[in-house]
Amino acid sequence: MTDTYTAFVSRGWGRDIAKRLGLPQPVELRRYRPGAPLLPGPALLVGSGPSAEAVASALTEWGVEVRREGAPDGGASRPDDGAKAPKLGAIILMLEGIERPEDLSAPVLAAGQAVRSLAPSGRVVTLSRRASTQDEPAVAAARQGVEGILRSLAKELRAGATGNGILLAEDVTADAPSVIGALRFLLSGRSAFVDGQFLTVGSSAGELPSDPERPLEGKIAVVTGAARGIGAAIARTLARDGAKVVLVDVPAAGESLAKVANEVRGTALQLDITRQDAGERILAHAVGRYGRLDVVVHNAGITRDKLLANMDAARWDSVIAVNLAAQLRINEALLGSDGLGEGLHIVSVSSTSGLAGNRGQTNYAASKAGVVGMVRSTAARLAARGGTANAVAPGFIETEMTARIPFATREVARRLNSLQQGGQPQDVAEAIAFLASDAAAGITGNILRVCGQNLVGQ
Amino acid sequence: MTAPVSGLETVELPEMPSLSRLYVAAARDAARKLVGRASARVSLPRARHHVAGVRPDLVKMTEYQTLLGETKRDVAPAGYVHTLAFPAAMSVMGREDFPLPLLGMVHLRNSVEYLLPIRYDDLLEVWAWAENLAGHRAGTQVELVVEVRHAGNDDVAWRGTSTYLAKGVYLPGVDKPGLNGQRDEFSPPAPTALWRLASETGREYAAVSGDFNPIHLSSISARALGMRRSIAHGMYTASRALAEVGPQKGDTFTWDVAFEAPVFLPARVCLSITDIADDDGTWARSEFVGWNASSGRRHFRGTIARL
Amino acid sequence: MSTLRKAVVVGGNRIPFARANGAYAMTSNQDMLTAALDGLVARFGLQDERIGEAAAGAVLKHSRDFNLTREAVLGSALSPETPAYDVQQACATGLETVLGLADKIKLGRIESAVAGGVDSASDAPIVVSEGLRHAVLELNGAKTVQQKLKALSRLRPKDVTPVAPGTNEPRTGLSMGEHQALTTAQWDISREAQDELALASHRNLADAYGRGFFDDLITPYRGLARDSNLRPDTSMDKLGSLKTVFGRQLGDKATMTAGNSTPLTDGASSVLLASEEWAESRDLPILADVVDGEAAAVDFVHGKDGLLMAPVFAVPRLLGRLGLTFEDIDYFEIHEAFAGTVLCHLAAWEDEEFCRERLGLDGAFGKVDRAKLNVNGSSLAAGHPFAATGGRIVATLAKQLHERGSVGGRPARGLISVCAAGGLGVAAVLEAR
Repeated sequence: MTDTYTAFVSRGWGRDIAKRLGLPQPVELRRYRPGAPLLPGPALLVGSGPSAEAVASALTEWGVEVRREGAPDGGASRPDDGAKAPKLGAIILMLEGIERPEDLSAPVLAAGQAVRSLAPSGRVVTLSRRASTQDEPAVAAARQGVEGILRSLAKELRAGATGNGILLAEDVTADAPSVIGALRFLLSGRSAFVDGQFLTVGSSAGELPSDPERPLEGKIAVVTGAARGIGAAIARTLARDGAKVVLVDVPAAGESLAKVANEVRGTALQLDITRQDAGERILAHAVGRYGRLDVVVHNAGITRDKLLANMDAARWDSVIAVNLAAQLRINEALLGSDGLGEGLHIVSVSSTSGLAGNRGQTNYAASKAGVVGMVRSTAARLAARGGTANAVAPGFIETEMTARIPFATREVARRLNSLQQGGQPQDVAEAIAFLASDAAAGITGNILRVCGQNLVGQ
Repeated sequence: MTAPVSGLETVELPEMPSLSRLYVAAARDAARKLVGRASARVSLPRARHHVAGVRPDLVKMTEYQTLLGETKRDVAPAGYVHTLAFPAAMSVMGREDFPLPLLGMVHLRNSVEYLLPIRYDDLLEVWAWAENLAGHRAGTQVELVVEVRHAGNDDVAWRGTSTYLAKGVYLPGVDKPGLNGQRDEFSPPAPTALWRLASETGREYAAVSGDFNPIHLSSISARALGMRRSIAHGMYTASRALAEVGPQKGDTFTWDVAFEAPVFLPARVCLSITDIADDDGTWARSEFVGWNASSGRRHFRGTIARL
Repeated sequence: MSTLRKAVVVGGNRIPFARANGAYAMTSNQDMLTAALDGLVARFGLQDERIGEAAAGAVLKHSRDFNLTREAVLGSALSPETPAYDVQQACATGLETVLGLADKIKLGRIESAVAGGVDSASDAPIVVSEGLRHAVLELNGAKTVQQKLKALSRLRPKDVTPVAPGTNEPRTGLSMGEHQALTTAQWDISREAQDELALASHRNLADAYGRGFFDDLITPYRGLARDSNLRPDTSMDKLGSLKTVFGRQLGDKATMTAGNSTPLTDGASSVLLASEEWAESRDLPILADVVDGEAAAVDFVHGKDGLLMAPVFAVPRLLGRLGLTFEDIDYFEIHEAFAGTVLCHLAAWEDEEFCRERLGLDGAFGKVDRAKLNVNGSSLAAGHPFAATGGRIVATLAKQLHERGSVGGRPARGLISVCAAGGLGVAAVLEAR
């Protein structure tokens, strides 16, 4: 599972060789560790107005040193103040006020000046408004332009730095819990492998955790496919963040399921999720043992790859049954139940294959694209009762499954992104944990890619 | 101390004789008799051998209990008393004036009355003599009687009568009986136990009993005496059956066994023990029979009964 | 009884049972018991619970496992502050741990308990001969080289040969199968009847797997997700083609084959027991009440009764005490040591003369409705890791009872009986919650 190449070129003579040969130079990403500072250096906040103030005060509260660019009191702490100035931990670009394409120039160029000062695994985060068909064409153009800027800038960043954006719906202000929550997520090591992506905050719903290191305190979460790989990482991450986890996997995977369950002090539920009554069983277990259910993570999935020309019904049907139909049936059971409280967060695991397509994976891509459609539709239904439905779409993640890909193919696959490396299961888990939290209650119907800005797809 | 049997001269032995020495002497005598064809005697020695100051050997008794599957209690098993006292009888058989050759004698029956419990630390006196010389269709039989008493007590604690057959030896004046020993048909009952007797069984019992008769020790030594293979000691099988009757028999009882087909080692022997109770349900006796698991030939049968 | 509180079955967990020298060939009793406990902890979220007491045992046990259950607890996800003790009652070990711990709960001594059992026929203890043992002991005590040489000089080649444990009865030298063959012949049980029972066991177990019944009763182990002895596709023809293995001296009357006898098996099981308050306060399920239990023994040594016939005596005593008859029982879990064992039990309970003379009843005790017998399979199909069987049965029955709920306005009721070496038998009654 370890990417030895990344370790090799990250230090010592391996780094020198890679540099001279012009080889990809992935770095070891800054990942979240409880207790570690949110950022490796001060944050440069580009922009002014109430939104910037709201962000500045949040940053300060998080113990981040804030430097301002374009603030009324003017450049008291410019990043180029001295050669000895510490590298920037983040550049935060406040763009929600722009009305015309021309408005982009000043703040974006100012941010550009600071990019060289960005620390390894630093962050660029844009805050802007979501373009919509209701917007004036110029407004829409300016807003949509932000996406191009951010995605391109993300590809220019080096040394593990990432660029991501937060899109605000029309009536959402920057001090909305989910805006602040998303900002913290994108700045932190939790988003290490999220790059070139946007999170859309659609409402002011949500609540920031009293302890940012325990955002899921007291929550009851179900994770399917939790016995190993990404599922086990999700269970561990949710538990670390304070949730009581019900770990679901097929009975045959029970041994590792029990091991993970005991590790995270949760309960194991051996269940084939394609059973007709899987949803009822999950609900019965969660409500029976813990009194309620707050989070459902649909992670279980299988692959049965074949070119479509060679595909048989068994391969096709089993993938659809596990990856999509089971989620639909379970969601239906959950949504149909009275016992469920408000604020259910459903997070599904999609895949970049579902978004971009992948040779030999028509069945898998159908299921994973289907998840996207399901999530958007489910989000609308859940909104009425204060719940959310989102998906994460992992790119190349270092798992037992990808370890089985032939070496050369694997090497190419894991370098085909801006971070020039594969992600870790934990990276996917962190994104899910964020979307499962109440801080993300204003975010629904989103598909968040965890792919290091993979070259394929959207 | 009153004499247990009248009309016999008491011969005091200084200590319990060694069986192996007796066997060596017997072999020597046998050789001499082969050469000299000593005139056959037709009467038994008018002597009763007496050994005083006999005490069980706790180590030997423990080894005996281990081998036979007896619970290690302080009271000596009836079979152990036999091994302790029987050399006195052997010394009678080894006498010059004993009319039958000691070597090659076949143990036909053994009958024990265990009348008073004997503890491992009891001081004992042993008497032994031969009686009832009689004809048998296959030769001549004789009974060797051994009595064991607690020192200073006239009451017999243990009495054993071992019937031996000198095969092919016919003595003048000793009547051959008619065909009274008719063989009854034996069809094996359901076994209650199975013994898997290894080829070491003879050597192991020899080690705890002191009975180093070569026919029990190895197939080589047994072949030297005309046996196909070594055979288990009859008293081993009888003692093991006794042990397996279990605690219901108590400390005192009678124990009779008749030996039939020899147990060639190694062997699988089936055993059936039948407990017979009085009307009130108390144990009266146990009948046992052992047979070859493959051929179904009967090896032994007997009874252990309440006194 | 009325003053006692209730002891309930919360649930159970076992590892799939593996035929000896199969999937668990290299795992020890402690390994397997630990795995069973870990699965139980995971199922019920007991990671931070100090359990009142854990009791388990093994029939074939290494001397190093003198504290087997406690060691397994320490190696498991259970709280290390959970006290534990070993129980050993041959094949009844598992059921006896349940009954003993349930009594402690009923008396109020403990609030929660884990009962269980494990056995490995693959990792059976091999002991050294008495001769070697004595020589080693003497060698340890020897001080001079001479003494040491003397101790060694006593060794004979055969002393160095290790001794494998047998499943022979110590007092009779007959294997359990040979004993049962005698009883089977005595009760005139046909080969066909035995094969039919074996077939039903395999079918019932396979059906139970098929409907996911074991999803929350079993945690896979070492790549095994199902009992490896299970043959879902077996048939009367296949069973009928097997050669007899026990009672060959009976000739034509020999009926017992590898198909209608249990194989040597490795496996472990566990059951979570609790007071009602404890289970309720933790939102844990309550599957069944442990109502009562009874042990019996028969004098088999000289053949008065068959070695495995003790349950025939235990069951009427138990049901008699509870004022119940077979009519009041909805599920019969009669451990299938051999198909012949179960059928001899049924025959004895139906035999007027036997019931009058040996059980002291007015007439036949009753007839077991075969549709209620071992409905989720039993040892013939699942295998029989001796001490683990009781836990398997208790957890399986408790879940079955809970699913059934009530019968005619009263809780569904199940009877368990387990025969064991040494002429032992233990029976128990559970009631649905």
